[in-house]
Amino acid sequence: METWFQRIFLIALLTGLATGVANAQENSGQGDDELEQIITPDIKRRTIKEDDLDSEDFEIGAFIGLLSVEDFGTNNVQGLTLSYHITEDFFVEAAYGISKVEKTSYELLSGGVELLTDDQREISYYNLALGYNFLHGQVYISDKWSFNNHFYIMLGGGNTEFAAKDYFTTSLGAGLRFYATDWLALDISTRGHSFEHELFGESKRVTNLETRLGFSLFF
Amino acid sequence: MIASVSGFRLLRVYIAILFCGFIAAPAHAQWFSNWFTDEESQVSINDAFINVYSGPGRGYPIFHVVERDEIITLLKSRTTWIKIKTRRGLVGWIKREDMQFTLALDGSKPEFPDNTQADYLVDRFELGGAYGDFAGADSLTLNLGYRFTKNLSAELRFADNTGQFSDSRIMGGAVLFQPFPDWRVSPFFSVGAGKIKTFPSSTLVQTEDREDNLLQASLGTYVHLTGRLFLRAEYVNHYVLTSRNTNEEVNEWKLGFSVFF
Repeated sequence: METWFQRIFLIALLTGLATGVANAQENSGQGDDELEQIITPDIKRRTIKEDDLDSEDFEIGAFIGLLSVEDFGTNNVQGLTLSYHITEDFFVEAAYGISKVEKTSYELLSGGVELLTDDQREISYYNLALGYNFLHGQVYISDKWSFNNHFYIMLGGGNTEFAAKDYFTTSLGAGLRFYATDWLALDISTRGHSFEHELFGESKRVTNLETRLGFSLFF
Repeated sequence: MIASVSGFRLLRVYIAILFCGFIAAPAHAQWFSNWFTDEESQVSINDAFINVYSGPGRGYPIFHVVERDEIITLLKSRTTWIKIKTRRGLVGWIKREDMQFTLALDGSKPEFPDNTQADYLVDRFELGGAYGDFAGADSLTLNLGYRFTKNLSAELRFADNTGQFSDSRIMGGAVLFQPFPDWRVSPFFSVGAGKIKTFPSSTLVQTEDREDNLLQASLGTYVHLTGRLFLRAEYVNHYVLTSRNTNEEVNEWKLGFSVFF
């Protein structure tokens, strides 16, 4: 009889303990969750990979400026550039520009003579150049406001389409790049496009100077 | 004559767009995924200090240092520089190589592998430009390639040749085989085919534009310069299958640069 009672009490005690422990476990489990919720947002446990970082090595830009074509006057030029920055020093730039030319002095003086048709007075060029950045630094607009800037020089080759013919063109350029933010740059530069043509009968090498003002975005 | 030239101008614009899209595509994929995820990459400094520059270049002034155990957020990278933000909101640039002196917040080393030549051998796009001498004419070539295996790649080529008596444009495709891709100076040979369109100079009378098929065989070498930049020198034998009685053979020397993505 006594053993019976003992058994009953023991069973009751054990079930009570078991449920109590289970409850306690549940409770403590909940407590952990709440703690984790408070702690985890602060420390993110994850590995860092370079591929997760956004790389901004490309630059796309637009420019306007003046292109002086030897013997054919000076006109507005506009164009697009696309660059890829290989290192902090070197970059490659592809550029495409369009402009038109005026009448030569001879055409103006002689009256009716027209050397080129209207279509042939359109000039366009493209080139691919390798550039070098140098003299990096900061300019201070005021005591607290400063901006990054640097100079660059470049050398490239391409084609000029002018008077319904293509001319192989070498380009030499230099400029100043001013960064409003690290992804928006202002470009003030010059280019010299040099090619040889025979429009006046004899072969003649001309260098057409271009001054540019451009904006570019890094992406 | 003029009409066909302006027709080709359209083609040229098309190539330019293709060119832009092509090289931007791999970069964009990453860019987009970063645009939509808002996770920040944070590391702590595991060295006495790291210099913070005002811009992504060694010529910019060092205006701050981040000290041991300080936590910084990595924002983006440009060439070999990483833009960071300190806990106090200060923004600057650190050298990529200084990432070895940092730890991720779980204590692991950040994975900033040193890219070697071998990393550009498989599954890579190649973009290159070259200058050449095409039988007296100046030639400019743009090539877009894709490397399937260490040894084999396929590429598209566009060339603009401007000469004294005629201009020509070549569009073609080629298969390129590189037997020793791991060498710093790594030779290759390739075979290809395409079309050449010739525009005789307008000052010469009684000439017509011609379009002919063309076979190309070339021998050349890549020279690894730095990171993803390679020098590429090439000797190309063009075999023009003309509609006249004799076929024409043109040899070309080319020198240019290639970038792998």
